[in-house]
Amino acid sequence: MAEIPVTQDEIMAVYPKAAETMADALGCDVEDIKPDVSLIEGLDAESIDFLDMVFRLERAFKVKIPRGKIVENARGDLPEAEFEQGGVVTEKGLVQLREYLSEVAPERFKTPMKVADIPRLFTPTTFCKLVVRAQKEAAAAA
Amino acid sequence: MSPANGHFAAYSFVDRIVAFDVGTSARGTYAIPAHVEAFSAALVAEAVGQLAAWVAMDAIDFRGRPVAALATETRFLSSVAPGQTLDLAVDILACDDEAVAYNGRASVDGVPVIELVDCLGPMLPVAEFDAPDALRARLALLRGEGAAPGRFGGVDALRVDVAHHVPGTLLRATLDVPADAPFFSDHFPRRPVFPATLLLDTQMRLASALVREAGVAVYGTGPAPSPSRATHVKMRSFIGPSQRLALEAGLAFPGDGVVRAMLSAKTDDRLVATARLEFPARPAAPR
Repeated sequence: MAEIPVTQDEIMAVYPKAAETMADALGCDVEDIKPDVSLIEGLDAESIDFLDMVFRLERAFKVKIPRGKIVENARGDLPEAEFEQGGVVTEKGLVQLREYLSEVAPERFKTPMKVADIPRLFTPTTFCKLVVRAQKEAAAAA
Repeated sequence: MSPANGHFAAYSFVDRIVAFDVGTSARGTYAIPAHVEAFSAALVAEAVGQLAAWVAMDAIDFRGRPVAALATETRFLSSVAPGQTLDLAVDILACDDEAVAYNGRASVDGVPVIELVDCLGPMLPVAEFDAPDALRARLALLRGEGAAPGRFGGVDALRVDVAHHVPGTLLRATLDVPADAPFFSDHFPRRPVFPATLLLDTQMRLASALVREAGVAVYGTGPAPSPSRATHVKMRSFIGPSQRLALEAGLAFPGDGVVRAMLSAKTDDRLVATARLEFPARPAAPR
């Protein structure tokens, strides 16, 4: 599936409410939610927190976000075998990942990168983009 | 302990499912055995969660089961006593191979006991925890004639050792999860997991003791104060047999008619569970 482009303005339009929602899920102050902080390394988020955030964002924005499929979405049109091999993201996969997670600073993409470590890259902006994409998909389907 | 231990007995709280709308909702019953000493609010929440788990497992053909959980809000409305029968109900908000989201409630004779709002359970491969065929057969039994009541033999009190105590303010304690306990044979047969609801029950007792000490609420000399609400209940990872947990309960006094208890559990300095409790801050009775 082709990636739906998301602009900075669109991200900022959802950011305040999304940040509040994420802070509530993580049990932290909204001031701790910075757009580019790593949710795992900076805010101690774990997989259940991601599930919680997606669930809360769905309800807050009345959209449907595919749970647990962020990594799958990051792959885009790239077949799985080309995206990763033996649990490690390929060069081609890394290019795709950098594009999908364009909000993440380039130096945070380590090589080799394990697929299991991809969630360490996620930031609040990553989740805002999920919301915007879900809104656009809903609008397109309407 | 009652001899009724083991699978579908030692920690199973649905006797019969009386209405079942595939993937959508269910209603069931659970008769609290008269022989147990008590049946805590946390166990009532467990009963509701188990009914939701049956709907969720069935919805995805027993590929996964919810393990660990989070509950956005739990309202404690009244207490229950051994010998009473819980009427359980769940509404599934969403369910797929990744997670189940649901609301649920329990009542006794029409009196609301508990309400669970926006609960979420990650679905994990069922075969890691239990035998899928045994679960299928059990669901058929529950939806048919129902299981024989009285299987639960109670849970032995868990030992908590206080490590640091500021009366009315803060309590730190250790909880050594037993190496062996009847509930592990049911929760779960293939992989024992310390039930989150037993942890919450223990934490609620610690918080209740702190609230009594705090003196902002007048509870007299009767039973320990009970929370009216739990929010942000979240299990971050499994807790297994023999693990040592560092528990912390701290009170906050936001001044909005409640006393708030912030709860956490850590193992090896890693946060494994968090929750917040609210207790009503009752005004002092006139002397």
